[in-house]
Amino acid sequence: MNRFRKNIIGLAFGAMFGGVLAAGSLHEYDTIHNMLKLDEFYVFGFMGSAIFIATIGLGILESRNTKTRFGGMIALQRSDVKANHLKGGAIFGCGWAIAGTCPAPVIVMLTSGVFVSLIVIAGIFIGLSLPNKQAPAGFGDGEHRLSGQTVERA
Amino acid sequence: MPDKMLFGAMLPQQADWYILGPILGVITVCFFLMMNQPLGASGAYIHTMNHVRRVGDRAAWRVWYFAGLGLGGYVVTQFLQDSKGLRIGFDSFRNAAPIWVMVPAIFIGGILIGYGAKLGGGCTSGHGICGTAQRSKSSIAATVTFMTSAILTTGFLRLISGGKL
Repeated sequence: MNRFRKNIIGLAFGAMFGGVLAAGSLHEYDTIHNMLKLDEFYVFGFMGSAIFIATIGLGILESRNTKTRFGGMIALQRSDVKANHLKGGAIFGCGWAIAGTCPAPVIVMLTSGVFVSLIVIAGIFIGLSLPNKQAPAGFGDGEHRLSGQTVERA
Repeated sequence: MPDKMLFGAMLPQQADWYILGPILGVITVCFFLMMNQPLGASGAYIHTMNHVRRVGDRAAWRVWYFAGLGLGGYVVTQFLQDSKGLRIGFDSFRNAAPIWVMVPAIFIGGILIGYGAKLGGGCTSGHGICGTAQRSKSSIAATVTFMTSAILTTGFLRLISGGKL
């Protein structure tokens, strides 16, 4: 039952995130490109205000030692800077600029009707599968704690 | 189209950032309240891939999350906005370069995104929004690095395209 609820929550949060990205046209190549050309403030404002609100909210949850629904006591993950963060960030930034999209918006791009985005999605899957010895064990969420915690069947 | 008559662009093509940004912030916090996890997209790719291969770490809800991204985007772009229908997209790239340049370029771009996200431990959502909001040094460093790298790369692309891109 819990697994069913988790799946529904996963779907719902995915849909909310995807919906917000679509409402901001963040799935459009031009939106990202115009930001990176420093022509438009839009995406900086979008990301900045999201980070601002989330920082305050997470700070409150942490200071009150809130119990989360499925993950026990709230535990924010903080890690120190290592070389792989900088190298990975630099490579990611290049790809982001060339393709004008990143892993979440490209899915929205596809369902918005841009079938060419399948090429980028294929590239992302290939990039993620390439052998990568320096990659951290639990990767994908900015150093998360999934390792060993959640092996379930779909 | 009948759906257009029903919903006729309830939302503009691009709603204001000062509305959407804070909403995304609240979604991020609510997600932590549920799962005690960051809302990372590249993690969802990995888990979806692991599910298909039946190896390694995989949580079923992350596959649902991956599907949800597409579903939310579909509903908003097709029913709540003026649907643009099937198209090639990448508008300014296509205007600046022929398609035989664009297709390999965005494919390589995709590979760099995937490889970089894996090496760096996250992408724009995992490091950029969730990691930075957790005040993690590694995420802040990664975010500053990919922002800088992307702005420099864009400048370089403008340079080699003779300012067309």
